[in-house]
Amino acid sequence: MVEYASSRAAARARRAGRAEAASLARRLDWMLVGAVGALVLFGLWAISGITRHDVPGSPNYYVTRQAIFAAVGIVGAFAAILVDPAVYRRYHKAIYFGTIGLMVLVFLAGPLTRGSKRWIDLGFFRFQPSEFGKLLFVLALAGFLAERARRIGDPRTTLRTIGLATVPIFLVFVQPDLGTALVYGAALAAILFVAGTRWTQIALLGVGAVLVAVLMLWALPAIGQPVLKHYQQERLLHFGNPNADPGGATYNAHQSLLAVGAGGVHGRGVDNATQTNLDFLPEHATDFAFASLAEQRGFLGAAALLCLYLLVVWRGLRIVAIARDPYSAIVAGGIVVALLFQIFVNVGMTMGIAPITGIPLPFVSVGGSSMIANLVAMGVLLAVHARARALDRR
Amino acid sequence: MASATANGRAATRPRAVPLDRAVADYRLAPGLAVRIGILGIVALVVFGVLFLRLWALQVLSGTQYLRAAQNNQLRTMPMQAARGPIVDRNGVPLVTNVAGTSIRVWPSDLPKDGRYTELRRLARLVNVPFAQIAADLRKHARDPLAPVTVEDSARDDVVFYLSEHRDEFPGVEIARSYLRHYPYGSLGAQVVGAVGEVTQQQLDSSAGRAFRPGDEIGQSGIERAYDAYLRGQSGVAHLRVDSLGRPLSALQISQEPTPGYQLRLTLDVKLQQAAERALSFGIGAARNDGAWAANGGAIVALDPRDGSILALASSPTYSPSLYVGRKPARLLRPLLDQTAAAKANFPGLDRAIEGSYPPGSTFKPVTALAALEEHLISPYDTLPCQGQITIKGQTFKNWDPYVYEGMTMPVALAASCDTYFYQLGYKFWQLPPERGQPLQEWASRFGFGRTTGVDLPGEQAGLLPTIAWRHARYTAQNDPLHWQVDRLWKPGDSIQLAIGQKDLQVTPLQMARFYALIANGGRLVTPHIAEDVEQAGDGRTPAVVRRRFAPPAPQRVDVDSSALEVVRSGLDEATHGTIGTSEPIFGSFPYRIAGKTGTAEKTVFLPGQKTGLNLSQSWWCGYGPTDNPTIVVCALIENGGHGGTAAAPAALHVFEQYFGRQATQHGTVYSD
Repeated sequence: MVEYASSRAAARARRAGRAEAASLARRLDWMLVGAVGALVLFGLWAISGITRHDVPGSPNYYVTRQAIFAAVGIVGAFAAILVDPAVYRRYHKAIYFGTIGLMVLVFLAGPLTRGSKRWIDLGFFRFQPSEFGKLLFVLALAGFLAERARRIGDPRTTLRTIGLATVPIFLVFVQPDLGTALVYGAALAAILFVAGTRWTQIALLGVGAVLVAVLMLWALPAIGQPVLKHYQQERLLHFGNPNADPGGATYNAHQSLLAVGAGGVHGRGVDNATQTNLDFLPEHATDFAFASLAEQRGFLGAAALLCLYLLVVWRGLRIVAIARDPYSAIVAGGIVVALLFQIFVNVGMTMGIAPITGIPLPFVSVGGSSMIANLVAMGVLLAVHARARALDRR
Repeated sequence: MASATANGRAATRPRAVPLDRAVADYRLAPGLAVRIGILGIVALVVFGVLFLRLWALQVLSGTQYLRAAQNNQLRTMPMQAARGPIVDRNGVPLVTNVAGTSIRVWPSDLPKDGRYTELRRLARLVNVPFAQIAADLRKHARDPLAPVTVEDSARDDVVFYLSEHRDEFPGVEIARSYLRHYPYGSLGAQVVGAVGEVTQQQLDSSAGRAFRPGDEIGQSGIERAYDAYLRGQSGVAHLRVDSLGRPLSALQISQEPTPGYQLRLTLDVKLQQAAERALSFGIGAARNDGAWAANGGAIVALDPRDGSILALASSPTYSPSLYVGRKPARLLRPLLDQTAAAKANFPGLDRAIEGSYPPGSTFKPVTALAALEEHLISPYDTLPCQGQITIKGQTFKNWDPYVYEGMTMPVALAASCDTYFYQLGYKFWQLPPERGQPLQEWASRFGFGRTTGVDLPGEQAGLLPTIAWRHARYTAQNDPLHWQVDRLWKPGDSIQLAIGQKDLQVTPLQMARFYALIANGGRLVTPHIAEDVEQAGDGRTPAVVRRRFAPPAPQRVDVDSSALEVVRSGLDEATHGTIGTSEPIFGSFPYRIAGKTGTAEKTVFLPGQKTGLNLSQSWWCGYGPTDNPTIVVCALIENGGHGGTAAAPAALHVFEQYFGRQATQHGTVYSD
């Protein structure tokens, strides 16, 4: 009897779980799932070509690792779908301090690699907190803003949000990782924008951002207090003219342009892509993955990737619109804009229309942290969608 | 059962994910919709820009970038062409090539960090001072994509070591090269000249467009004069490399190098050897005879019929192979550095064409011909020949103080009587101004005071003193104390000029050309040394002449043939008459030679000495066989004393080689 009852209870629980899963499954944005899945597969395919000649004797070294990271990321994404975003809102302070703690940990425990501290070495893979930080940053600050949803027009709310954001942005900037710091900035702007900050304040913030840029690029260096490293400044200032110094400061930009252009319509194929295979194109598996892809797969391949990105961004913006509550909307907005910003800066820099900063190409660049963090972020988007208001009414 | 059903129904309710009541009334505010719309537009613009840029790069200008990417990995390598050999008139090779292995550095491929460590190691290995390599690299800093040659002729063990440790020397390349080889050692060193890397100055010059940095071109002598023919056309090869400059494929030759043409000279190697031996013989003879300062000289052998140079010797000399490969700087210093060159008595100077000397008595035939042409004297008038003569209160001495007799012109030439020619010189001075300066005019017609036009670089014009020259030479600026006196043309000037002294300066080649004019009956030849350029045969086919260098036809100088005959008989008597100044030397030679000795005084600054010494330059110029001359020889021994003790015996050696006969007796004469 007891056994019977317990088995019934267990069956009930199982049924309940199945039903909840079925309900979530029905409420998933399957188009987004498909787009992300296609992106991951496309990224693996691209990487398998890009890194074919990178490790002599083991052509699948990188793509195998990347596939494992993708699998981990997909598990993470499913876990994220199961978590109600309200949980993040409730614990947004803990998330905020946890993020800062992780970034401080990098300074304490991270090895110095090529002059910067960005990773914590976990043996099998190098954990890069700033990648996960993008998501955590959005979750934490969105919580702060959602709490003050009714006083959103108050300039103090805006200033406090910016003040809170400054700490992680600064910690990333001094790693130094200028590119990721800029992504945080873009996410911050998106959060304020979606949360409903007044237009006048947004305009003022825009002016402020321009002033900061002028200060960092020109005014402070001019009085002998450079904020940026020399190479960072060179790249930011010269991105419009990649042929200025092909042997030096603009070598990367120049070689990247050659790689993209040489791809033509159909691409040069994996084995004939000399810019990639002969190492003319530096960092072709990470920062310049798009140039490498464009060289190997041509306009058709590169454009296909851009289409997939466009699909993801479109679904993401739709999720902002149908989000159940302000918090979910803000989170979705931050995630989507951060993604859009990364795509633009990374793809743009390989084609000479954006400054060269070390930002990975989402879902494509070799790197576990980036892949997992981006997939989890997609999981959060899907979680928001699964609990969306518009679907409730249907 | 029912509860189970109810539970089941409850589970199907969407409440499985509880809503937050606090925000349950949240609706899509119009403000947010606008903002999302803006974000959407931003996203569309971003993707639009990316798509358009991608389209522009890949579809619109893809081929252009493809070409650039392909050039990225193709390195253009110049392929050295084999320089043409230089052969003598009989085809005997004077300069050839041997294969060498050169070690070159591609500056762009050197590692950014540690390039100096690598270069220091390379310097130790090839035994070239590091400072020199660094200096060479600096010289090529303008063109980092051209290789810098560190060593032309690397030893085998160095090459093997470098090949085995290639990975430790990025940017260092081992290449095949051609090296100049001199089968006869220093023979004709100054004439042949040297080959060297093109200098920045040459690259910048207007002719520099034909050269590329690193090219080896002729820098002196024949190598320079006929560089365009000898150099050939270097080839082009392409090599696929990766971004570190490591070769990925074998060399692909897109343009084979064209070897340079073979250059045939009018020079005769055997005669050149004889001339150089004769020079050292003459210098030795002079020293044995007390002319202790004898230390150099020149011999010119010409064909008087067309001006072909048969031999052109200059002493001291050097080994042209010093310029091949990297030789210790100490050995090259006498050729490159002025003070070191002075110490070694200028071995690089081709004295036959670049040395200027007073001609002394060898100039007397010029005076004789001019005097006859101007009717100042008739050939068989006699003038007194005595120990000394006083003209206008100034005493001029004869070289032989004991003679006292009247002499006709041939006898005066044979005995080289100075006082006879002093009187002729004075007659020239006495001519009214409207007659001009006929002695100088004739000398100029005979080729003095101007270059001969020989096809060798660096020829000197010498100096033919005239009234105009004196006026230009001495002015209030450069001679403030005596310029009014010094600029005057005084009797002594004409008198000394008549015996080839004082300001007159000639080169041995000018002298040989003048004696060729006497020998060929009054035609002024243009000396030349290149015969033709040929495409070398490949063993079965003979060489094909590509271009023959026809020298300008000998120019007839309007000189009276009977006057020439007088001078010729005088020169013949000089070598065969009992009073002849070189009779003991040429008198017994089976072929009849005619010629004139000369002993010219010159203020000489010996190496290492500050004060000048008045030393005699020993001359002999002449031709043979007398009835139908085929060779002119002019010999000069610097500081060699009497013409009959040094230069004349040296010249005899050349005739002996030329005619293949020995003189039955050798003697010397203490004569002018």
